[in-house]
Amino acid sequence: MRRVVALLAAAWLAALVAPRGAGAQSAADVLAQGVRAYQDLEFDGAAGLLRRSLAFQGSDALPAAGAARALIYLAATELFRNRRDSAAAAAQRLVLLDPRFRPDELVFPPQVLALYEGVRRATPAVTAHAPADTSIRPGVDAFAVRLYASTFHDVSATLGAEAGGGRVVRTLYAGPIGDSLALTWNGLDSSGARPPDGRYTLTVTSLDRERRVVRVLRLPIELAQPSVDTLPHPAPPADSLLRPERQPLGPALRALAPGALAGVAIVVLPAVVASREDASGARFVVGGTVTIAGIAAFISHHPGRSIPGNAAHNRALRDDWRRAVDDVTRRNAQRLREVRMRIRAGTPLLLTPEGP
Amino acid sequence: MTRALVLACAAALGTSSPSLAAQRWQVSLGAASGLEKVRSRTDSLRELLSGDVFTGEAVVTRSRLAFRLRYGQGHVTADTGTVMARDVAEGEALLGYTARPWLTLWFGPHARTYGTTFGDQRWLFWSGQVSARGSLFPGRVDTFVELWQGFAGRVSRPASSASGRGGEAGLQLRHPSGRLWGRFAYRVEQGRVGARRETVEAVTVTVGYVPIR
Repeated sequence: MRRVVALLAAAWLAALVAPRGAGAQSAADVLAQGVRAYQDLEFDGAAGLLRRSLAFQGSDALPAAGAARALIYLAATELFRNRRDSAAAAAQRLVLLDPRFRPDELVFPPQVLALYEGVRRATPAVTAHAPADTSIRPGVDAFAVRLYASTFHDVSATLGAEAGGGRVVRTLYAGPIGDSLALTWNGLDSSGARPPDGRYTLTVTSLDRERRVVRVLRLPIELAQPSVDTLPHPAPPADSLLRPERQPLGPALRALAPGALAGVAIVVLPAVVASREDASGARFVVGGTVTIAGIAAFISHHPGRSIPGNAAHNRALRDDWRRAVDDVTRRNAQRLREVRMRIRAGTPLLLTPEGP
Repeated sequence: MTRALVLACAAALGTSSPSLAAQRWQVSLGAASGLEKVRSRTDSLRELLSGDVFTGEAVVTRSRLAFRLRYGQGHVTADTGTVMARDVAEGEALLGYTARPWLTLWFGPHARTYGTTFGDQRWLFWSGQVSARGSLFPGRVDTFVELWQGFAGRVSRPASSASGRGGEAGLQLRHPSGRLWGRFAYRVEQGRVGARRETVEAVTVTVGYVPIR
């Protein structure tokens, strides 16, 4: 009796000490059981187990490769259960999960392979593989995204700014895709400028033969660039350094003024000095002579005539300034080229828009 | 006009330029020939005479100060009627101060004598004068305007105090050498005694030489 009690106590203690998880099955375990059931031709049990393995959520969920394995076995299981629609649904789910997936021809019989191939061809979809964190020199290097397609179809790829309500910054590609496509972006927008820092989305739209949108892949991208110290542009030549390119009017007027004033003074002199006296016309002769001399002095200054020497001097100054501006512009562009843009890509999300 | 002349002189003295301080002696001589018209007018009498007058002048300048001496002599005859011809002698001795390069103030006596067979009639004015000049072609051609106002004046026959004023304006040319110069000018002046007015108009051509500069 004592021995029985001791054994019961030991068993109870062992049950307490044993890890709690040992009793619960992981998604991988369930998947393995489902695969074994499939291999044992126990398709009903296999279907249940495989669905259970796919039902795990969050951190317990199967990884992508495991989910793909569960789905192809589920498609095969449903096919052998004569549930073709369920098999096709599982296969389509697999295509959307991984458009690159191809079932192992050594594992699955031809009818399963044919089913999957048919579903794959009827399900245009792409996935994107991009480096998670990289940096490029805009305009010099390129950010590369590899697109993988389930089947041959047309796609369009654009880069849009989240801040601008999805405003397209740059159209990257529009055309057919076969197996895969290397998508490159040089870090500049459609006007050739650097887009500002922020969140962007690389959107790849898959179109069917009727050019209807059947799938949309969104790849979030975050851009960050360090600020650049650029050189200020040199100021244009000061007016004080520029010489007049035409003969100014001032000296000519200053030469004309004494003649005109003296001419008028001579004409009015009798009225000032000897009012109420009839002056002779001689004053007009002298006044006219003086005025004509003033006009001649005005003309001799050639007001408005170009001064080639001064024009050449000013041209040289302006050319020097333009060369300095060009040099600063070139150096600033060089600095900007050397600044690297950091690009962080997130997880792609494949969406299937609702049908009409 | 007297008040205006006084104000102009005061303003010019108050704003005198120091740039003329260091200059040497300069002497300029000139000879002029002019056609002169003399009008004598009273309430009941009008006489018009004209004739040639020849004038000599000398200007001595040092620093800002200048001294000008002019003397002219001629003969005017009546253009119409039976007015008696006159000998004319005129002159001035003015002391000047160059307040600005373009402005000179003068002060001194201004005299004119008419000689007839009945005797001489002398006009004498102590006058202040403003002389301004402007350059048309720098160093070559200038214009000038002069105005004078008699502060105190007397006439000899009939002996009485008189008033007078005058002005001259024209063109002055200078040879590039700076020695030779010429002047083409119009001059008008008027003396008054009671209701009598003696008005003189003249167009003169002067040729000058600068022996010392």
